[in-house]
Amino acid sequence: MVLTADERAIETRHLGFTVSPHEECGVEEAVRIAEAQGGEVTVVTLGPPEAEEQLREMLALGADRAILLETDGADWDPEATAAALVEVIEGEAPDLVIFGNESADSGGYQVGIRVAHALARPIVTGLKALAVEDGQLRGQQETGDVYRVPLPAVVTVKEGINLPRYPSVPAKLRARRKPVDRVQPAARAPRIELVRLRVPEGRGHQAEVLGEGPSAAPAVVELLQRLGVA
Amino acid sequence: MIASAIALALALVVAGGLFARRALLLTRLVRMGKPSGIAREDDVPVRLRNEAVVVLGQRKLLQRLVPGIMHAFIFWAFIVLFPAIPIAMIAIVDADAAPHWGWYELLANVFCVLALLGVATAFYIRKVVRPRRFDGSHLGEADLILLWIASIVATLLAYHATESQVWAWAHVLLILGFLVYLPYSKHLHIATAAINVYFGRTRSRGRLEPLKFDEDVPEEEMRFGIGSVKDLTWKQMMDAFSCTECGRCQDACPAYATGKSLSPKLVIMGVRDHLFEEGPKALAAGDEYEGPPVASHGLLEEMAWDCVTCGACVEACPVNIEHIDHIVDLRRHLVMVESSFPSEAEPMLRDVERQANPWGKPQAERAAWSEGLDVRVLEPGDPVPEVLYWVGCAASFDERARETARSTAKLLQKAGVDFAILGPRESCTGDPARRMGNEFVFQAYAEENVATLNEQGVTKIVASCPHCFNTLAHEYPDFGGRYEVMHHTELLTSLVREGRLSPTASDQSITYHDSCYLARHNDVVSAPRELAAAVGQPVEMERREKQTFCCGAGGAHMWMEERAGPINEERVRQAAETGASTLAVACPFCTVMLDDGVKSSGRDMRVVDVATLLAESIDDAP
Amino acid sequence: MSVLVFMEAGDELSLQALTFARGIDPEAEIVAFGTAPAVAGVVHLAELGDYAPQAWARAIAGLGATTIVAAGSDRGNEVLAHAAVMTGGVFAANVIEAAGDDIVRMRWGGSLLEEARLHGDVRLMTVAPHAVAAEEAAGEPDVRTFTPELHDADMLVRVVERVDTSTGGLSLAEAPVVVSGGRGVGSAEGFEPLEDLASLLGAAVGCSRAVTSAGWRPHTDQVGQTGTKISPELYIPCGISGATQHMAGCKGAKKLLAINSDPEAPIMASADYAVVGDVLEVVPAISAELRRVRGAP
Repeated sequence: MVLTADERAIETRHLGFTVSPHEECGVEEAVRIAEAQGGEVTVVTLGPPEAEEQLREMLALGADRAILLETDGADWDPEATAAALVEVIEGEAPDLVIFGNESADSGGYQVGIRVAHALARPIVTGLKALAVEDGQLRGQQETGDVYRVPLPAVVTVKEGINLPRYPSVPAKLRARRKPVDRVQPAARAPRIELVRLRVPEGRGHQAEVLGEGPSAAPAVVELLQRLGVA
Repeated sequence: MIASAIALALALVVAGGLFARRALLLTRLVRMGKPSGIAREDDVPVRLRNEAVVVLGQRKLLQRLVPGIMHAFIFWAFIVLFPAIPIAMIAIVDADAAPHWGWYELLANVFCVLALLGVATAFYIRKVVRPRRFDGSHLGEADLILLWIASIVATLLAYHATESQVWAWAHVLLILGFLVYLPYSKHLHIATAAINVYFGRTRSRGRLEPLKFDEDVPEEEMRFGIGSVKDLTWKQMMDAFSCTECGRCQDACPAYATGKSLSPKLVIMGVRDHLFEEGPKALAAGDEYEGPPVASHGLLEEMAWDCVTCGACVEACPVNIEHIDHIVDLRRHLVMVESSFPSEAEPMLRDVERQANPWGKPQAERAAWSEGLDVRVLEPGDPVPEVLYWVGCAASFDERARETARSTAKLLQKAGVDFAILGPRESCTGDPARRMGNEFVFQAYAEENVATLNEQGVTKIVASCPHCFNTLAHEYPDFGGRYEVMHHTELLTSLVREGRLSPTASDQSITYHDSCYLARHNDVVSAPRELAAAVGQPVEMERREKQTFCCGAGGAHMWMEERAGPINEERVRQAAETGASTLAVACPFCTVMLDDGVKSSGRDMRVVDVATLLAESIDDAP
Repeated sequence: MSVLVFMEAGDELSLQALTFARGIDPEAEIVAFGTAPAVAGVVHLAELGDYAPQAWARAIAGLGATTIVAAGSDRGNEVLAHAAVMTGGVFAANVIEAAGDDIVRMRWGGSLLEEARLHGDVRLMTVAPHAVAAEEAAGEPDVRTFTPELHDADMLVRVVERVDTSTGGLSLAEAPVVVSGGRGVGSAEGFEPLEDLASLLGAAVGCSRAVTSAGWRPHTDQVGQTGTKISPELYIPCGISGATQHMAGCKGAKKLLAINSDPEAPIMASADYAVVGDVLEVVPAISAELRRVRGAP
């Protein structure tokens, strides 16, 4: 991890960007539902202009249109993010809103829930299986807990709910022509105010090399015995 | 006389008509073919030279002496005996009017005998020797053709001996029958081979045909490789029509040799059979045609994934069929349209797309191999060095290949060469994505790298990886990147010749393994050998230079599982046969694959890049 | 009351949350549902049946605390997020340190730390698993049952059914030893030696994201930020380079033995012990040596 000089962001030079794994699975799930039952999938994100690239990737997965809540790339706390999303989602009046359980970077665990409350819709989180039928959804979590909730509703899903497809090139080319609407969201003063980022100190010690190749086996077994797991 | 004339005319009309009808279908099929992605009308002098050498001179066939001579006799006989046909026809109509040039008849008789010798040899090979290259070929058809040729030639000999019209008739009828049969059999190659050789690649064999993804091309017209029969290019159809099922490609293929289902011969035969099955339907249906994918024909899909793109098949083929184009085009459709490819390759494809290298390691660490060596990393706006060292993903991220980069950098520094690297701004050239069939991702990288190189003002590049070398030198020009590109062995050899590097030869026995992308696709064979000779005692393997045997990493196989016997172990076995202690390579993939092969077969050989050998030899010098 | 901690039960993570809350205020009180955990202290207990996140959050919000703490588990995060909306409070997840309004929390699964200031009358925090060691707190709870006032829609989302998802093998999240494979294993079949070693050690077998992407193992085996987070006594990653994604999933491991052919792989920086070599050679050798030492086949 390399930070910018002001310690408020990660140095992104030479880094590639992707969609958060939970969210990519969420889009795939939405596309599968729409493919099976008819319907339109819209993807929304909040981010700098470059985030359009990720929206296009999701359009290539099969979403029909995208909305970019354009910011200058600065940090937005979860409440501000949720409020901005609500303004757009309300207008869309979807039957189902899908979020990733938490974002890979800031991991706030609350945007979906805040949006659900603002929309006065029920929300089920952390789903590894989702089925939509007759105006109702059935959601199942990793633990095996099952929920049933009427639509319209909000869910958050976890990676592993499906394996996202590898988009075909015709789909990527079509994605270039699908509409991406841009909205300028109103910023709010963050209630989780970022002071600075820092990289945690390393373990402070080097790994003890037990050996090279198969000849290290006796040393390994001796370690296993010492640790009480052999 | 009149009766004979009428009879002959009738025969000509019937035979001609039947022939024309079939020829028309074949022509219509070829014209339905999509355009080729590279120019094939330029370099006329080279094309004509290929005709002379490969077709007239039968050079590729003569690589196997006995079958080569056998075929040459028959082929040259066809040419020499051609005037005998109109002579025989005149004789049929009016025996007295037929010319009897003694010198020609003597010449013709000699070639008839040679042809008969050829046929006899051919039967001997097919029935007694029975080489494995004929596994999968249609032997019955070949026997029929050989007997037919023998009869044609025998009737001519008989005519010359007796001057009887009966033999003339027999000769002409056999020939007319042959004419009708020709376009229904693999003997079609008589008509198509010369054309196929003419239109083959004249420059690097390693350059694939680019596809066009421009926005102004409507989606229905876009070509994503070979989906159904109407996606075949005209050149691919010509390839299919030129195949004689000789099996030389099959013999050369490392995948076939190690038990995979891939046989380049069966690929071309499969394409041909599918073309004859579906082609006429496509002609009839026009734009409405929706047929099965070519890849679904027989084992084509499975065979397409076994290929390492080594090019041994193309090198071996006497009619210059370009098998790799078929295989990569099949992969292109599977990958880009159907998203169907060996699942173990998915992480590699995603990493190339998102992380700019197939190892998925952070680009920011791309120059980490050079720690402590004080190598200049180019920033935008920096003055351009005399030569840019293109390190490549393997040498940047693989622990065994890194040594090559370090050795190369040290040698260049020692020789006082003004060089620099791009470091984190060097993205993957895209070669693995392209060979896997993901042309789309490849082009994105090509454009990005060309922009970086052009903005920096780079004109000269040295690469220590033959795949990077091939792509930079021969494929990037299609995307606006024109550079003078050398392989590191070429640069190092010239430095040694100039005396800027002075190695001393030790007594280690070294066998040098030619990389496919260096030797076969790009004809670089002597520079690495000079280096090997300068540092040790070279000993050669049997399969070397343009006949080299692949290490198994090409065609993105570095990232794919291998079914059946491992190609790398087979090559290591070949190397071990020389008794050498050192197996020298000039490619990071070969380094890893052959080192793996040595380890997994429990042998005792050191696998090392020639650059490292050179560096060691100079370091050790007193 | 000022500090309230939601304990799901007497489990390790809830005890860690309790320790954290008491670090802020030794008098921190506890809220629980169904059964009171066996710890000393005031426990506000409500009976609401099976898990219903919004209802439980409503109950918690109604207790009027100004600082609410819970474990950074799925339920902890969910309930506190609901409670944050209900109390108008500010909620920070995966906190590792707190002093007044200033907190330090995890980003990127712990590979990056965020120092932040919370603004709000009510503050909610979940504690990053294993950021704090659970202190001894066993005792007789002072149970005060209460009946929370719920809104109509609060019970709409609740567990209605339970499906058995156990795969029969040892649970990845609970196994004392985990042996994982990454790209360096080379293929699905390459996992056989790892499974062999795991069976000898009574360990569970995990994998990296590259392996699930390649289709060699199911996602349920994935150890990582978006997979299963493990905290075994000993973690043995084989042929895994140590990307951030993966390391976020095994931060809780007490000891880490890395087996990798690259001595400079990132995972070496986080390892306690290492063997440099080809996974497919080293792992079978370890299994063989184990068998030899045990004198059994």
